Amino acid sequence: MVETPQEVAAVLAAHHRRQAVQAVLIHAALIGACLICLYPLLRMISVSLRPGDRLISTDLALIPAGASASSYLRVFKETEFLLWLWNSLVITCVTSFIGVSLAATGGYAFSRFKFPGNKLGLTLLLGTQMIPAGMLLLPLFLMIMRLGLINTYLGMIVAYSVTSLPFSIWILKGYYDTIPRSLEEAALVDGTSRFGAFYRIVLPLSTPALSIAFLFNFTQAWNEYLVARVVLCDAQRYTWTLGLFELQGQYLTQWGMFAAGSFMVTVPVLLIFLYSSKWLISGLTLGGVKG
Amino acid sequence: MASVTLRRISKRYQEATVLREVSLDIADREFMILVGPSGCGKSTLLRMIAGLEEVTEGDILIDGKVVNHLAPRDREIAMVFQDYALYPHMTVEENMSFGLRLRGLAKAEIDRRVDEAAAVLQIKDLLKRTPRQLSGGQRQRVAIGRAIVRKPKAFLFDEPLSNLDAKLREEMRIEIAKLHQRLGATIIYVTHDQVEAMTLGSRMAVMNGGIIQQVGTPAEAFFRPANHFVAGFIGSPTMNFIDGAVAGGMFKSPDMGFKLPGGTRASGPVILGIRPEGVCVNKTDGSSLSEPVPAAIEVVELLGYKRNLYLKAGEKRLLATVDASFDGKPGDTVSMSLQLAGIHLFDQETKGRIG
Repeated sequence: MVETPQEVAAVLAAHHRRQAVQAVLIHAALIGACLICLYPLLRMISVSLRPGDRLISTDLALIPAGASASSYLRVFKETEFLLWLWNSLVITCVTSFIGVSLAATGGYAFSRFKFPGNKLGLTLLLGTQMIPAGMLLLPLFLMIMRLGLINTYLGMIVAYSVTSLPFSIWILKGYYDTIPRSLEEAALVDGTSRFGAFYRIVLPLSTPALSIAFLFNFTQAWNEYLVARVVLCDAQRYTWTLGLFELQGQYLTQWGMFAAGSFMVTVPVLLIFLYSSKWLISGLTLGGVKG
Repeated sequence: MASVTLRRISKRYQEATVLREVSLDIADREFMILVGPSGCGKSTLLRMIAGLEEVTEGDILIDGKVVNHLAPRDREIAMVFQDYALYPHMTVEENMSFGLRLRGLAKAEIDRRVDEAAAVLQIKDLLKRTPRQLSGGQRQRVAIGRAIVRKPKAFLFDEPLSNLDAKLREEMRIEIAKLHQRLGATIIYVTHDQVEAMTLGSRMAVMNGGIIQQVGTPAEAFFRPANHFVAGFIGSPTMNFIDGAVAGGMFKSPDMGFKLPGGTRASGPVILGIRPEGVCVNKTDGSSLSEPVPAAIEVVELLGYKRNLYLKAGEKRLLATVDASFDGKPGDTVSMSLQLAGIHLFDQETKGRIG
């Protein structure tokens, strides 16, 4: 047993030492992870700034000798980069909007109503997440084709919305579960309809979960390549992922332009993430809404 | 304001029957308490009146009109919830005016009503705050304010004070009583706290097992409980019960026996009930008391102005509440008798009152 003040102090000191060592180890691991994440981004910047004759150089400098913005200019001049961006933006925004709207109502139904197949439905939704994307390509292609939506925005939007819906529904359902039912009941007594209670009370309280679902939908659709490759064949409809891939030739790849394009499409997503990181963290960890 | 009538209301969830043929008339401007242990169906009944639960059988009438199929918003009632249910994303003012805004009232009228209710409840300086920034008692006031501004036909309270600490509960209890006098409103108030039930209501419906056991004034429920359950539920500390039998006007149990006051028609196996205040210690007043029996003091509790004595007479344990000046100690033997006027008799089988 620890009894004397000296012994207590010794135990406390040992405890503090352990905590300090833990903190150092945790930070070292996090810094390492950060570097791993940042390395490709930094390489991308570095390559995009290199003059044409030094693309394959093994130089590690972030700003290479003789740096120039020529790759950036060439992306705009020599490719349909702006069109690709526009296509991506339309598809991504509409997808996110539809995906979040459907998940918001679907998740509400799963959270609040008892109906036959409630549990089974949720389990099936989770099950779809276990199927690798590659396996879905052919069926997805066939469905989109039969719907006559090949090579259309709508085809892409349908494909993207439905694939990210299960995750969004789970996120929102989980969040709704933490909102006390009495709030909606109070609203019903106060004079709203069932939908009014959802729209005026539950939705405004769910902004953290809604933003997570939105970000998830947005990044999924923005970065997607495989489905786009299958659904889109007309270069006029290409998203930026397909467009940039075109820069890769069998014999010659425009690495400078490729890197410049990649950097420009990464920045918006990165900024959105940095901006919303607070909501993300609070949304993922925060439990209930306590009146 | 309006009357509320329940006609043979039943509620079943699949197999389980929560309420059985409950009938109750609540007059205009009456303060009706629904009281009972948890799981007795009182909250379900209230939620059915509000329209938050469907009625399996029977009719609910507000102001003489059947409202079974009306949505909660069309019933013109207001409800105060146990957890207050204040909208966290709205200020106090927005919370209070929510129902009025939904009904499309003019801004000036909304402001006037919110202002008036805030003044009554002394929450004028809280109007711009959000529920998160309020204490429990303040939230409670806001929740009541949100109900008042609506000027509903009836107020429904679902255990509104159970989340408050003892002192605050007492304060709010008095506030609610004053509010009832001031508004002259029809109030249906659910509680499991018998102090609230006794002090607030003009009448109370004591419920157990999905059935109304007794409807009456608090005094009626206390002094003339309709059955064994009501006798045991109302009153604190709980009534003492002694199993025994009555024959020829004499009560007999293994541990005591005495002549009951004249006029009792009871006979056969009975449960005798006596409140702790009716158990007398070391008193000799022939006619109004039963024959004394020796009893040992097991435990003594001082409550301030009263003292609880846990007694054992033969094999029977009884609680007596006596003056604080009584100075017996555990282990002492005293002479115990029962006030004849305070005796209640219940049938052992039906548990109903027989004398």
